[in-house]
Amino acid sequence: MGNSSVIKFTLIMTVIVAFVLALLVSGLKPIHNVNESVYNKKGILSAVSEQLGKDVNALSNQEVQDIFANQITVQALNTEGKIVSDDEISSMTNGLAKTAADVDFALEAKKPEGERLLPLYTFKAKDGKDYNIMYVRGKGLWDEIWGYITLQPDWKTIAGEAFDHKGETPGLGAEIKDNKAWFSQFTGRKLYNEKGDFQSLEIVKGGVKQPDYQVDAISGATITGKGVQEMLQRGLKYYDPYIKSKFSNQMESDTVHQMMNDTIK
Amino acid sequence: MGDLLNIFIKSAFIENMALSYFLGMCSFLAVSKSVKTALGLGVAVIFVLGLTIPMNWLIDHYLLGETGLFKLDLTFLRFIIFISTIAALVQLVEMVVEKFSPSLYNSLGIFLPLITVNCAILGASLFMITKEYNFSQSVSFGLGGGFGWALAIVAIAAIREKMSYSNVPAPLRGLGMAFILTGLMGMAFMGLMGIDPAAF
Amino acid sequence: MADIIEITEKEPAIAFGKEEKKLLTDPINENNPITVQVLGVCSALAVTTLLNKAIVMGIAVMLVTAFSNLFTSLLRNYIPKQIRMIVQLVIIAFLVTVVELFLKAYNYPIWKELSVFIGLIITNCIVMGRLEAFAMANKPWRSFLDGLGNGFGYAVILVIVAFIRELFGKGSLFNYKIIGPTAEYALNTSQIGWLHWYVPNNLMILAPAAMFVLGVLIWLQRTKYKKLVDIS
Repeated sequence: MGNSSVIKFTLIMTVIVAFVLALLVSGLKPIHNVNESVYNKKGILSAVSEQLGKDVNALSNQEVQDIFANQITVQALNTEGKIVSDDEISSMTNGLAKTAADVDFALEAKKPEGERLLPLYTFKAKDGKDYNIMYVRGKGLWDEIWGYITLQPDWKTIAGEAFDHKGETPGLGAEIKDNKAWFSQFTGRKLYNEKGDFQSLEIVKGGVKQPDYQVDAISGATITGKGVQEMLQRGLKYYDPYIKSKFSNQMESDTVHQMMNDTIK
Repeated sequence: MGDLLNIFIKSAFIENMALSYFLGMCSFLAVSKSVKTALGLGVAVIFVLGLTIPMNWLIDHYLLGETGLFKLDLTFLRFIIFISTIAALVQLVEMVVEKFSPSLYNSLGIFLPLITVNCAILGASLFMITKEYNFSQSVSFGLGGGFGWALAIVAIAAIREKMSYSNVPAPLRGLGMAFILTGLMGMAFMGLMGIDPAAF
Repeated sequence: MADIIEITEKEPAIAFGKEEKKLLTDPINENNPITVQVLGVCSALAVTTLLNKAIVMGIAVMLVTAFSNLFTSLLRNYIPKQIRMIVQLVIIAFLVTVVELFLKAYNYPIWKELSVFIGLIITNCIVMGRLEAFAMANKPWRSFLDGLGNGFGYAVILVIVAFIRELFGKGSLFNYKIIGPTAEYALNTSQIGWLHWYVPNNLMILAPAAMFVLGVLIWLQRTKYKKLVDIS
């Protein structure tokens, strides 16, 4: 066979293959995008699965979208713990996002510290209570790990959590996502001590001694555990100023209450 | 520079392509009967990985990405383009080696066609994308991955040569034993997991 | 090659006789692509930690081998000899991309878990091996069956390995708790397992265990079928 027929064959084949694939991609792309956003949203919802009272993985795409539309609001914070307005969001993301809801927070986590935006999701449970979800991102053994930590309405105690990873070892590091017995240890742990100072959690081997602030490690996944601990310490610290401001509000309202009671007396 | 050395050590020892991900197993098991042939294939893999990973990086960045030449997201063509690049490059290497170094061709030549379908090559190209390496990092990753793969196949071949003096149950002889040996070797390499290359 | 069977022109294009049946069933045991021909081992190891991953992977490989065999066989008289290998690879890569696009659209979580291993079907030596050994010399219908059979033989091993690894490594099947303590490692804690004393062995989930399981499977198969034993 001559060179011309080889070239002809190659050309025809390339055109057909590229055309069919392009057609398929343009047809399936919208479904891919919906799947991706639902997958990420399920990751966030896993951190409030208890408050939601449903198995997050069993939710349909529509249910996930509905919960996000009706029960979840999102705000963007900067690393000093201040809420960022929509105008600032579009200038900080170079116009990529206009409101806190369109910000790609995974991308934000890769920016230098001062320019970063952090999400604060607020989940309105059926009983009317507000649960706030914080987002942290760090490094495991092989690759990135990230997590969502839900706080009780008192802003001090953990009410739920969900972790995920890009490529931890199945059976070892991947247990942070798969092993409910491990990650549910976080529920009920405290982020703030009695004095109201930020005290993140420790992941310890061989038995927990301070049940309020420590979590048992996964055997065989020391580095991933250390990664989780580092991620929580660094990541939750960013939220500290904002949470502190909530404390003082709470205290103020408490004192106002007290004073009013006193005057009534 | 330290960062590149890290990636080299990591991809060669800690995330060994053959023993941690078990990539390229077909040729790994078929060609590991003697150290000499194993070394030949190993060198060929280093050579091809060192060339194709940066090549595929350039193609992915300047042709397929949204910021590339066509300003379109053509990443759905990744598989086709990557495998074609690998096949074309292997053929090119074969021709160049044959022309300029017949002695090298004689020792490497028969292994080169085998390499196109070695999943370590395509696997490394795809890992390079998911790990979001930059160009120089991808060079280091390719060379390190190749080196680690070569090391693994030579080590297994050495053990398999000795194995022929052992009294293995007949049905387990050959292939079955090779699987179990590779598994044991993989366990040994898991001991390297968690070492921080930055500490070197 | 023993499995290349010349057929006469008189036979109908689509027939299903004894020989066709053999094309389908042979690769499941005596000519199994993984345990006998040692092809496509890489993905057999990486995706067998969970049963549902292994089943999706098995189906994907079956589709790719069957259709790549079919297309190659249809084109076998037109493919220029000089670029034969690249053409075969492009056909395979095309089919794998199609499978990946559909999987991403219809089962996103599994797609996410399989990640690069879907792409690695391209270099799964089974696919390439069947194209060279069978599809280039046989008619489309037979090639299709041969591909289906080999893909199925591959899928069977994958499922067996995954069954053993998930059951003993996580104590579950399809993520449902079967054996071992209920609280630990259970993805669905409402299921009550039996054999509560059994502690799931994490080693089974790690990659080397796949090697051991395959090695033992080969051992068992060769104990039963003496003619497969390596004489060397």
